[in-house]
Amino acid sequence: MTAFAGLIIIYIAFGIINPTVFSGQNIMNLLRSMSKYLIIGIGQSYVLITGNIDLSIGSVVGMSAMIAATLMTMGVNPVAAILITFVCCMVIGVLNGILVGKWKLPPFIATLGTMFVARGIAYMVNGNRNTDAIASGVGKEAGETFQNVFYYGKTLGIYNTFWIAIIIFIVFFFLLSKTRTGRHIYAIGSNVDAAKLSGVSVVATTTKTYLVSAFCSFIVGLILCGQAGMGNMEAGNMYEMYAVAAGVIGGISPLGGTGILLGTLAGASVWQTLENGLNMIGAQVGIQRLVIGIIVVFAVLLDVVVRNGVFKKKAPSK
Amino acid sequence: MSEKEIIVSMKDICKSFPGVKALDHVQFELCSGEVMALLGENGAGKSTLMKILSGVYTRDEGSLTIFGKEYGDLNPKLAQEVGVAIIHQELNMCRHLSVAENIFLGREKKNGIVLANSEMEKEAAAILEELKIDLDPRQVVGELPVSKQQMVEIAKALSTNARILIMDEPTSALTAKEIDDLFRIIRDLRAKGCGIVYISHRLEELQYIVDRVTIMRDGQYITSMDFKDATMDQIIANMVGREIKEKFPRVTCEKGRKIFEVKHLNAGRMVRDINFSLYEGEIVGFAGLMGAGRTETTRAIFGVDPKESGEIILDGETLHITNPKDAIQAGIVLAPEDRKKDGLCTKLSIRHNIALPNLDILCNKLGVVSRRKENDMCADAVKNLKIKTPDVEINAGNLSGGNQQKVVVGKWLARNSKVVIFDEPTRGIDVAAKVEIYNLMNELKKQGIAVMFVSSEMPEVMGIADRIIVMCDGRITGELDARGVEQSEILTLATRFENKMASAE
Repeated sequence: MTAFAGLIIIYIAFGIINPTVFSGQNIMNLLRSMSKYLIIGIGQSYVLITGNIDLSIGSVVGMSAMIAATLMTMGVNPVAAILITFVCCMVIGVLNGILVGKWKLPPFIATLGTMFVARGIAYMVNGNRNTDAIASGVGKEAGETFQNVFYYGKTLGIYNTFWIAIIIFIVFFFLLSKTRTGRHIYAIGSNVDAAKLSGVSVVATTTKTYLVSAFCSFIVGLILCGQAGMGNMEAGNMYEMYAVAAGVIGGISPLGGTGILLGTLAGASVWQTLENGLNMIGAQVGIQRLVIGIIVVFAVLLDVVVRNGVFKKKAPSK
Repeated sequence: MSEKEIIVSMKDICKSFPGVKALDHVQFELCSGEVMALLGENGAGKSTLMKILSGVYTRDEGSLTIFGKEYGDLNPKLAQEVGVAIIHQELNMCRHLSVAENIFLGREKKNGIVLANSEMEKEAAAILEELKIDLDPRQVVGELPVSKQQMVEIAKALSTNARILIMDEPTSALTAKEIDDLFRIIRDLRAKGCGIVYISHRLEELQYIVDRVTIMRDGQYITSMDFKDATMDQIIANMVGREIKEKFPRVTCEKGRKIFEVKHLNAGRMVRDINFSLYEGEIVGFAGLMGAGRTETTRAIFGVDPKESGEIILDGETLHITNPKDAIQAGIVLAPEDRKKDGLCTKLSIRHNIALPNLDILCNKLGVVSRRKENDMCADAVKNLKIKTPDVEINAGNLSGGNQQKVVVGKWLARNSKVVIFDEPTRGIDVAAKVEIYNLMNELKKQGIAVMFVSSEMPEVMGIADRIIVMCDGRITGELDARGVEQSEILTLATRFENKMASAE
């Protein structure tokens, strides 16, 4: 929760330098840009809590954007295009789950493989080219509707993208903290042997986390497709790492077993507020990246310090 | 024995952890050339005190004098330099490295920038030789049995020229013969003038090596005395603050119908053609040496390890168990041997741990956990098992060993089962907690639940079980009625290796 306190301080500090930070439009933009990172952060957090990692997130985002856009430029009905894209993304999730959960491949390697596979598919679906505007296939009206649903439209005065993120957050927050599956996810992350001996199916649970991750990537792919109005082969590049950053800033332990999604929300918020603020005061992209890097390390350092009590008394290590 | 001098003196040591006062003005003294037993129940503060002496924890208050020199805050490295070495309850070995590499871990010898492997191996061999331990320094530690790993730990401690040696439950994983070896080593060290702090819950073994005892209870110093002046009852009374009437409470029940049967079970080399039955109203003890295949048998029954062949019959029905979930759903549960590895999620709360195998009961159809049912279940477990904790939200890893074990047992007793398998349920826990576990088993027995009780400690098998099945080398070598059984009979069966059987079959 230190992250939330940090968030407010950062926000006010930037606001003092440049009061437009507080403007309604900026807040709207901030919420929208944060949404993408929150969604992929949720997916990655699920995987991180089991003590694994998903490197395929960014590529699945790209794959999702490209498949959906290609189908729509071919004139496929947007709803059908979304469903087909969904199935394709879930296949990658299942694959990750089988490789890591069943065949016990190191998650770093397994998802490194699927990362290349998914990016390869993203390139291949439209013959190694970005797509044309989706409106060229499904028509101007349907194209605009798609873009509004995922990016430009507002409901109750707030961008739809943010609402999508909030719904996903609530659903997966509930799933993780209140249900049996959620408990199994924590148990595997804390002690996989004990979990197995307690009747937890490691394969099924691991696969579920990768499915959640693939689902989140799928949604973000659609958002990026809506934003651009076309498919970009490089969409979602590096998102798997942004997702780790969002989770880790918010206190999700990459070692597994600990962390809550509220932390991921805080992590994504802190990061985007920072990026937004730096932007508003005219900082260059280079500076922005550098600051984010420092924040990630600092957040984890803070976590380690609090947990091991470097500044306080030592806590029992057992 | 040579002249004794005080080498360690700890005065008014205090130490608090968040929410707990672990040590409250504790005194401790150790002389050269003596073995000092540090006794107390789980959570009495023994391990904490020794971690302060070895520099793992820093104290809040009090003074610490080692070899006549007063020290401020120690750290593990400084403690090692001063000559303090600790052999932890949980072995701290790098399983993938060799014996020699482990012994020299952190103090590797080098020729220029290259490791001097042959030199280290030679030196390791010399240390092992001196301790009369038969081990190849090049062997990989993970392949060694636990007892040998422990010997490596001792060798490692001695290679740093330690003169104050702390042993935390060194015998809990050892067989009788290995304990003899260990005691011989301890006596040698004592004769050389080392001071040894010996923490153990197995009071019966103290008489063989201990010179003095220091007793702690609830973070406080109670007393210390010469061992020869103390009676066992006196020691126990001081440890628990009251007298324990029965070390092995036994209840008698009518033996009922057959509940559970295992027929021709095979699973790897350590589980070969296992046949046995469990009846209502009895506790069946499984005795044997370490590595006799008892743990493997429980794991095969429970579906953790794959079975090659065999039948498992519960209430007359043949079960198909391919994973623990099947077993749990059928009503068979297993409280495993190694609680750190197989029993507990140490990063999760007590509540999460107790709920974990019981989520099918605690969840509604949609899989949403009912907090109310969960809280009730945990409250019952804490009450019934007398788990000492301020509340159930504390991480299970922060509990003392005995209380951790109670959580492991508690999570399985929270559901209605037909067969409960206990694998070494009392390892590393104190007398009072042991009796509580025995009482629990008796309670299950009275309820008509079949209890399978695996233990390497013969007195408790003889004291608690109604029937004893003995295993050796992956096979059942005999079955005995616990009434009037002699330890030697069990031992004979436990050492009946196959070559002796060859002619008989």
